[in-house]
Amino acid sequence: MIGPVESPRGFGLQDHLCWVHGDPWDYRPRLTEFFGEGLERGLQVAYLGAGDVEELREHLDRFVDVGPLLTREAVRIISFDEIYRAGEPVVPAEVMKKYAAATQEALADGYRGLRIGADVTDLVRAPEQQDAYARFEFLLERYSARHPLSALCEYRLELGDAVTQFACLHAAVPAGLTPFQVFACDDGAVGLLGEFDAAGQAAFKRALERIQPAPDDSSLIFDMSAVRFMDHRSLLALDSYAQECQVPVLVRSMPPIVRRVARVLGLEHLGGVRTGGT
Amino acid sequence: MRTGAARGQEGHFHEAGFYSSDGEFRDLIVPFAEEGIAAGEPVIIGYDNRKNALVRSWLTDPSAVTFLADKSLYATPSRAIATYRRLLEFHAASGAGQIRITGELPHPGNGGSFEGWDRYEAAVNTVWDEFRVWGLCLYDTVTAPAAVLAVAARTHPSIVSPSGIHRANDRFQDAAVFEGLSFAPDPLEQTRPMIELVDRSAAEARQALAQIGRGRIADAILEDLAIGVTVTVSNALAHGRGPVTVRFWAAPDRIVITVHDQGRGPADPLAGLVPTPSGSAQPGLGLWLIHQLDIDVALKHADDGFTVRLRGGTTIG
Repeated sequence: MIGPVESPRGFGLQDHLCWVHGDPWDYRPRLTEFFGEGLERGLQVAYLGAGDVEELREHLDRFVDVGPLLTREAVRIISFDEIYRAGEPVVPAEVMKKYAAATQEALADGYRGLRIGADVTDLVRAPEQQDAYARFEFLLERYSARHPLSALCEYRLELGDAVTQFACLHAAVPAGLTPFQVFACDDGAVGLLGEFDAAGQAAFKRALERIQPAPDDSSLIFDMSAVRFMDHRSLLALDSYAQECQVPVLVRSMPPIVRRVARVLGLEHLGGVRTGGT
Repeated sequence: MRTGAARGQEGHFHEAGFYSSDGEFRDLIVPFAEEGIAAGEPVIIGYDNRKNALVRSWLTDPSAVTFLADKSLYATPSRAIATYRRLLEFHAASGAGQIRITGELPHPGNGGSFEGWDRYEAAVNTVWDEFRVWGLCLYDTVTAPAAVLAVAARTHPSIVSPSGIHRANDRFQDAAVFEGLSFAPDPLEQTRPMIELVDRSAAEARQALAQIGRGRIADAILEDLAIGVTVTVSNALAHGRGPVTVRFWAAPDRIVITVHDQGRGPADPLAGLVPTPSGSAQPGLGLWLIHQLDIDVALKHADDGFTVRLRGGTTIG
């Protein structure tokens, strides 16, 4: 699912959803639904959090109502310690490898895929952790667009404005949380969605910094078919990104209103390629 | 090496001439063009079809000059500045010692509107300073309104008479002190706006525009207005003094939007007319961008603050 969403229901095998909450009580019914649906779909689900596995299992029992299913092997409990290094910025590629391995294990064990859910607030509390974690979020976004990994990433509102920088790197976000999103298309392109103007300018620039072409990609394609508006500043930011990127950057499906701005600014080269012959 | 009255001048030698008959027009333009041709300088002439034909018949070798008959050249002041800049760059790169340009701006006397061209006349004193250009602006005193002639008299540092005498203009005002004409309010502005937003985001302004604009004017113009209102609201929120008030009016075939804040507006008298250095995202770039679109953009500095008015659809006055 791509774009603003109203509920955590109806997600498939390959989805990346962000949500925010004030206290754990808000989080509980959502995780119940997300995990419940995952189990119904034949997925292995994994609940992640800080602390040891027994505590986490107790926590899950107490707060999340997935009933008798909890006893099944289909519910894994994973401590953050297994994946992340406590208190340190994550190494995005390494963490991604661990989730990819866990996804493959689930498939090997006969599940249709893996579904994970975690409140990751504690992993991004320090400013120096945020950049690395956001880069990881984009890798996860990319992986989940093409592999049977679905994830619910919960952030607590106490993080303030910092929440937006993570939210905008998810294919699905609660409506109203961010004016734009950067998501992964299933063909490897980077999709842009929503409205890009001065209000989201700083967040968009930060998001761009976190996008890396995949190691084996000879070019990076941005897909603008879901862009409703993009102002000149965002377009210039995209152009700067393109100039500094180590592989050629192409833009496809640039909407007329964006093409108009690009033409006046002399940035036609951005949208002049692979747009279906226009 | 510059020739004629511009000899020894730096940058743009901006001169005005006033005529009241075809004979006086000839006396002003023929020496200007013939001297340029003789010196091997590019000469660019841009009048209406009738005057271009007259000039052709007067010149010994009209093929030696470039005639611009494209009315879109003078579609908007900032587009004219940009178009001329490309021409100047081309001729300068070809090694021209001086480039001579003469033309007539739109005003009610020749079927156009002078709105915005007062700022253009002030701006061109500096915006082409890296070129050796002699610009001769000829005004028809019979048809041009007095206000237009008064602007011409304040924006040209040199004046040439039909008898061929060039003199320094003691009424010339530098762009920094030049005060432009005040805009006539659009008739719709006298009525109650259809939507008024106070201190709201550019996204909300775009939403309001879409709400009232659809079906009234062409989609392309609606898009230009959306780009325009985004830039002006973002600028007002970032650089102006609140509250920022956006008002929308709609007639069956056009839309008028004003964006007002209580600040003083851009201090640069050239704001919107020239681009900021390429690739930079300074506030002036957005203002320049929206001056390149197919909408009417007017800036108004007043005691109660700064207003940008955007109009799209059928043009009024």
